[in-house]
Amino acid sequence: MRLDLGVPLGGVTLATIAAAVLPFVSNDYIVGIGFTLSTWIALTEAWLLISGMAGYVSLGHVAFVGIGAYVAALSWQLLPVWLILLAAGAAAGTLALLVGYPCLRVRGPYFVILTFGLSELLKFIVVNIEAALSVSGRVLFGAPDLHDLFYMMLSLAWASLCVALIIRRSRFGAGLRAIRENEEAAETIGIAAPWFKLTAFALSAIIPGMVGALITMRTSYFDPLDSFSPRTSLLIITMAVIGGSDKPLGPLLGVGFLVLLQELLWANLPQLYMIIVGLLLIAVVVWVPDGIFGGLQRLLARSA
Amino acid sequence: MTLLNVDGVIRRFRGIVALDDVSFSVEEGQIAGIMGANGAGKTTLFSIIAGNLRPNAGRIIFAGRRIDGLRPEKVSRGGIARTFQIVRPFGNMTVLENVTLGVLYGRRRERSMAAAEARAREILEQMGLAHRAQHVASQLTLAGRKRLEIARGLATEPRLLMLDEVLAGLTPAEITGAIDLIRTLHRQGNLTILMIEHVTRALMALCQRIVVLHHGKKLFEGSPEDVVRDPKTVSAYLGATVS
Amino acid sequence: MSFQLLLAALIAGSIYALVALGLNLIYGTMRLLNVAHGEFLMIGAYVAYWGINLWKISPLLAAPAAIVLTAALGVLLYYSIFRRAMTSRAFVERIEANSLLVFFGVSVILQNVTALLFTADLRGYRYEEELISFGGASLPVNKIMVLIIAGSVCIASVIFFARSTLGLAIKALIQQREAAAIVGIPIARVNLISFCIGFGMAGLAGVLVSMTEQISPFMGFPFTVTAFVVIILGGLGNVLGSLLGGLLLGVLETFGVAFTGPGYRSIMIYGVFIAVLLLRPQGLFGPGRART
Repeated sequence: MRLDLGVPLGGVTLATIAAAVLPFVSNDYIVGIGFTLSTWIALTEAWLLISGMAGYVSLGHVAFVGIGAYVAALSWQLLPVWLILLAAGAAAGTLALLVGYPCLRVRGPYFVILTFGLSELLKFIVVNIEAALSVSGRVLFGAPDLHDLFYMMLSLAWASLCVALIIRRSRFGAGLRAIRENEEAAETIGIAAPWFKLTAFALSAIIPGMVGALITMRTSYFDPLDSFSPRTSLLIITMAVIGGSDKPLGPLLGVGFLVLLQELLWANLPQLYMIIVGLLLIAVVVWVPDGIFGGLQRLLARSA
Repeated sequence: MTLLNVDGVIRRFRGIVALDDVSFSVEEGQIAGIMGANGAGKTTLFSIIAGNLRPNAGRIIFAGRRIDGLRPEKVSRGGIARTFQIVRPFGNMTVLENVTLGVLYGRRRERSMAAAEARAREILEQMGLAHRAQHVASQLTLAGRKRLEIARGLATEPRLLMLDEVLAGLTPAEITGAIDLIRTLHRQGNLTILMIEHVTRALMALCQRIVVLHHGKKLFEGSPEDVVRDPKTVSAYLGATVS
Repeated sequence: MSFQLLLAALIAGSIYALVALGLNLIYGTMRLLNVAHGEFLMIGAYVAYWGINLWKISPLLAAPAAIVLTAALGVLLYYSIFRRAMTSRAFVERIEANSLLVFFGVSVILQNVTALLFTADLRGYRYEEELISFGGASLPVNKIMVLIIAGSVCIASVIFFARSTLGLAIKALIQQREAAAIVGIPIARVNLISFCIGFGMAGLAGVLVSMTEQISPFMGFPFTVTAFVVIILGGLGNVLGSLLGGLLLGVLETFGVAFTGPGYRSIMIYGVFIAVLLLRPQGLFGPGRART
């Protein structure tokens, strides 16, 4: 294994093992924060595959989270938890393959708006399905306890990070970045762009599907308006952009920063939290386009 | 043997006929040139051969197989590489990464990143870009970016290399260097070259055969010496026959 | 019944057209994807609300104030953020995607500042609610006013863009930025004016909406969506297309909901949105794409 891949993978794995100690050394509140951190890490790293690497920015990723949540709610107590997770991931991946085929032919900002529209459409479809079934919210009794959920989410975060790191340095990842830089030139040198994009899109959906299932288990409740909330997509994109959406380690900074901010503000001043999120997003896009991580890298390179 | 056969190609863009029944062929190992005023349809022709556009009618036959209508990556895999008139490097990647991508996804379809990089370095040496391997592509001069585009195309191990006005915007000294480079590549690489050019001395120096396009039609086809003497061509360029 | 429905469709459509016109101006001239457009509508709505509740001014009188406020806010945004951003090469390269993110941030800020100041509760006021009947339909006066005002502004805009020098300059700028500069059009000034008109229209639309519906800090978002649907239907940068697209959407939505039910409204709007984006991203009335 190449050194520039082995080191980050090793580091990430060590950090994960260290984090696994958390439930034994602290209280439920801290473990809850650990769960939240793992959630967003898993989501942003998966999102990176299509949006950061291939350059097709998805503003509708909550659709995959939501469909995973719905699968979990529907199959609750009909299937064992591990099978629910697999089904949730599979459902999300299948959704990505189905909609990806027509949608990835649309380029640039149109794609961004389109993904947003799709996730909203899916949300309202599920709302109508539930209404037709005369269901208003589903409760999940007997969900796994926080510690178990934490370990599962932590594993997803680890997996998501590893996938991002491996793909970034792989032949496949190089092809994705070529597509991002100049899709027509990439095709001219032999890259079959449609397949690449579709694969990246499907891969970027699987883990968020599983995350959705776990989130629903944590809240023990499924409501389409929450599970498909566009705020989730906005937070994913903000965390990734603030941290730096070019390299896999970038979003970690964004996640850490925003989750910390959320813990401080959400209980009392949720609006203030969102205002700061908005300001940060603007500031980063205009002044530090490669995110905090990119900015740090440039700073280090200049002083070297 | 005939490597490329363009047969009766027609292409329209919403009422404008960009290419009107254009036919010619290129022999293997030749350097052939395409010349014509701006708007004559030259780049459109390239895009059709390379698969970026479909013809409305006609066929393109390469190495005995029909390729019109194939997707660009399939055409590339068949052995055709092209450069773009307005260069399209992968701007935020290094020069080395640009060429490595060509090796990874060209005809060799190299699986190993390390092997691809090694081969890319060889190509950079050949193209005189080795000292810029770690430079970000968008920071190269125009001449450098044009070389990079050729290098990236070469990395795909083509049988036919299509160059679209690679000399445009270069200084006279750079043009001389580029002509030598093209000649060397042709000799060493067993390449067939099809080049669109406005720079006449390059066409004269390099090409064994030249096709003249005018308003989408083929005006003349022949050796360079014949082209400059063809009355239709001279009239199209100068407006009247020079006696 | 169907004359009633038709009127309802026209009323809805005229608002959609008005909002879309403003968005089209901002996008067309500067390629800025203003996803906060609905929030400027919301601001206009709140101006009208407080106007009538605090100072007992009719919304018609509050309208100019709303227009000035939203236009000024737009200009402020331009000078504080975008003028600086447009000088950065990296920003301009992906200006549409970047402006989308920036405006997303703006919309979140505007929504939450309003929620913080005025709470997220729904508010409304009563204004000219007497019903008038004619031709088998009966409508409250306020809705008729909406139709008349929105309709007039839309038609006036179309005439303005077709006839006036400034309108022509704006259209030129929309079609070909660099060429417009070369023929002597003062780009910066025209940009500014377009911004003012664009955001001002959103403010006006907000006042009109507030006359007939309840308002909240989060009311703007659906209007942003419909505005995008309309300009995608009508073609980005195409002024007449926005008008026709707005009416078309009004018809589709009103008659669609009449046949299926109010719960399907969102599904239909997003469905149309996606269908148009997939099939003809350049719009129903826009120029065709060269086929590969």
